[in-house]
Amino acid sequence: MNIPVSHLAQEAIAALVDGELSGVAAGRAARHLTGCAQCRLAVEAQREAKEALHTSRDVAVPGDLLSRLQAIPFTADVSASGGFGGSGTLLASPDRVIGGGFSAPLTPQETPDRPGQARWLRRGVAAGLAGIGVGVVALAVSLPSGGQPGPVARPDTGSAATSGERTAVVPPVVRTVTVGTELTGGTP
Amino acid sequence: MVTEPAAADVWVAPTWEQVVRDHSARVYRLAYRLSGNAHDAEDLTQETFVRVFRSLASFSPGTFEGWLHRITTNLFLDMVRRRQRIRFDALPEDTERLPGSAPSPEQVYTDTHLDPQVQAALDALSPEFRVAVVLCDIEGLTYEEIAATLGIKLGTVRSRIHRGRVQLREALAHLAPGRRPVLEEGLR
Repeated sequence: MNIPVSHLAQEAIAALVDGELSGVAAGRAARHLTGCAQCRLAVEAQREAKEALHTSRDVAVPGDLLSRLQAIPFTADVSASGGFGGSGTLLASPDRVIGGGFSAPLTPQETPDRPGQARWLRRGVAAGLAGIGVGVVALAVSLPSGGQPGPVARPDTGSAATSGERTAVVPPVVRTVTVGTELTGGTP
Repeated sequence: MVTEPAAADVWVAPTWEQVVRDHSARVYRLAYRLSGNAHDAEDLTQETFVRVFRSLASFSPGTFEGWLHRITTNLFLDMVRRRQRIRFDALPEDTERLPGSAPSPEQVYTDTHLDPQVQAALDALSPEFRVAVVLCDIEGLTYEEIAATLGIKLGTVRSRIHRGRVQLREALAHLAPGRRPVLEEGLR
């Protein structure tokens, strides 16, 4: 005689719905469920709540937030972090931000270099950041000068080269400037 | 002897722009589901990426997503605790639940395309339950990943998910009686 004496543990009910029970436990739970309407309802209730959430669709990141995130290398107070020994654990070169290594599936592009980069660069943080600053300033200074009638003729060579190299870290503001000069230069 | 992991050599550091592009949507969605409003979600996302930026070089390969989940949820729980403390200090009586910056249902839908009633039901959960349920049912993490993310035991994960879903269902039934849950109070 198989009379269900005790019911499934609540944790087991959640785990069953999520496929987190081991084979043996899942089999035992399934056998119990065939004879126990109460536990079947409890399973169904868990499933229902799960599905209510599961239908949630994607959220779009607000555009201004995205530009603020992109600008973090220029706005974050890197030296303020006390958590890690070298706060400046991060390294930013004009082309790329360099970390200790993570598995984000990223398209490989150029320079597969520098195995010991992290430590090496850690020391160069100040220099690196200064370098960015200089680069940005240089761009900011040089681009608006295109507003004069004379130099407008060469936006393709000049700006194409710079933006090609520096897209990675050029903040949105600078890019706006680039667009502006190209537009003015576009009407010969 | 030839089993040296080649991954480290092949790995190419991503640009900051890539990091933001690839991960901001997930972080923002998680932050929104947890906090229930766009303003907090933006703050949490911003702060998460600032932390990422600061400690990128100390990150070890393999779990970038897990790392982001951990930072975001910890920042969220910190935020909640800080506010609870402030409310407790500032408001002597009857501070059950402040309306705070709760967005209107229309706002929720515009922001997230998530059923406003579902978001409202989520907001009604205690933060610890909410985190567990969101990581499981919206982010699709396994119990083990949730345990690692929150630094709690597997059994705790199970019971928080179970109880969170029970509460979620009750809140949904209360908010939207037309939903007709599979069972009424029969299980209590």
